[in-house]
Amino acid sequence: MDQLTDVLAAISHPTRRAIIEQLSKGPARFLDVAKPFDTALNSVTKHLKLLERAGLIERRKQGREVLISLRGKPLREVAGWVHEYDRFWNENLDKFEKHFRDQKAKKEMKK
Amino acid sequence: MKDSKKTMELKFERIIPAPPGKVFDGWLSPKTPGTPWHEKQKLLLSPKVDGFFYWLINGTAHYGRFTQIERPRRIQHTWMSRYTSGEESTVTVTFKQKGADTLMTLVHSGLPKNELSKAHKAGWNYFLDKLAKTFSGESAKSVKEPKGWRDR
Repeated sequence: MDQLTDVLAAISHPTRRAIIEQLSKGPARFLDVAKPFDTALNSVTKHLKLLERAGLIERRKQGREVLISLRGKPLREVAGWVHEYDRFWNENLDKFEKHFRDQKAKKEMKK
Repeated sequence: MKDSKKTMELKFERIIPAPPGKVFDGWLSPKTPGTPWHEKQKLLLSPKVDGFFYWLINGTAHYGRFTQIERPRRIQHTWMSRYTSGEESTVTVTFKQKGADTLMTLVHSGLPKNELSKAHKAGWNYFLDKLAKTFSGESAKSVKEPKGWRDR
């Protein structure tokens, strides 16, 4: 699966959206993340794994605790894609532009 | 007539460090990285008015007909693939001199709004509104979930 699919799948569940919303206020420990939900800890772990796979959260060790924090980058990147062709043309045009920039740089090196 | 509610348009701009003629020729050449025709499993390309292209990549076929070729200013062709749901969309590329560089604009219009774009719009608007409100300190609960934004 690509990242767009992973991120859309990750935010498609109300529990995961609630977790993201909670983490947008700041990093939290696992038990704090799980606290508001009337669900088994195992289920929260599964939701966190999906969020982690989509690159939306990261775990960081601080002393003896593990802090979970939100990563905004995939959200911002995916927010810009409204259609398959959004990504397609952006990636192609970036390569096209780079090709001409590389050619210009090569010419200038020769001078 | 196309129903604007069912189709969408995407617009992209880039400044390319070369004169319009070179950029125009580069865009029509499969040798140039970043053109739709560069990476391919199979390509048939006839870049003239009423010329066709067939481009196969990753098992997905794309077809189109060139409708305008005005060197060095403008290229227009139709574009069909499974991502256009069998509808004929239009790609228009224009090249404008900007000093020593070229302002290249690509507009892909007549794209059918697919499930992804619908889910995206409904989902992201809802979600980003909510996040924005969270950061601005307003109650996030005041944002209503949109219709059609269903949990999978």
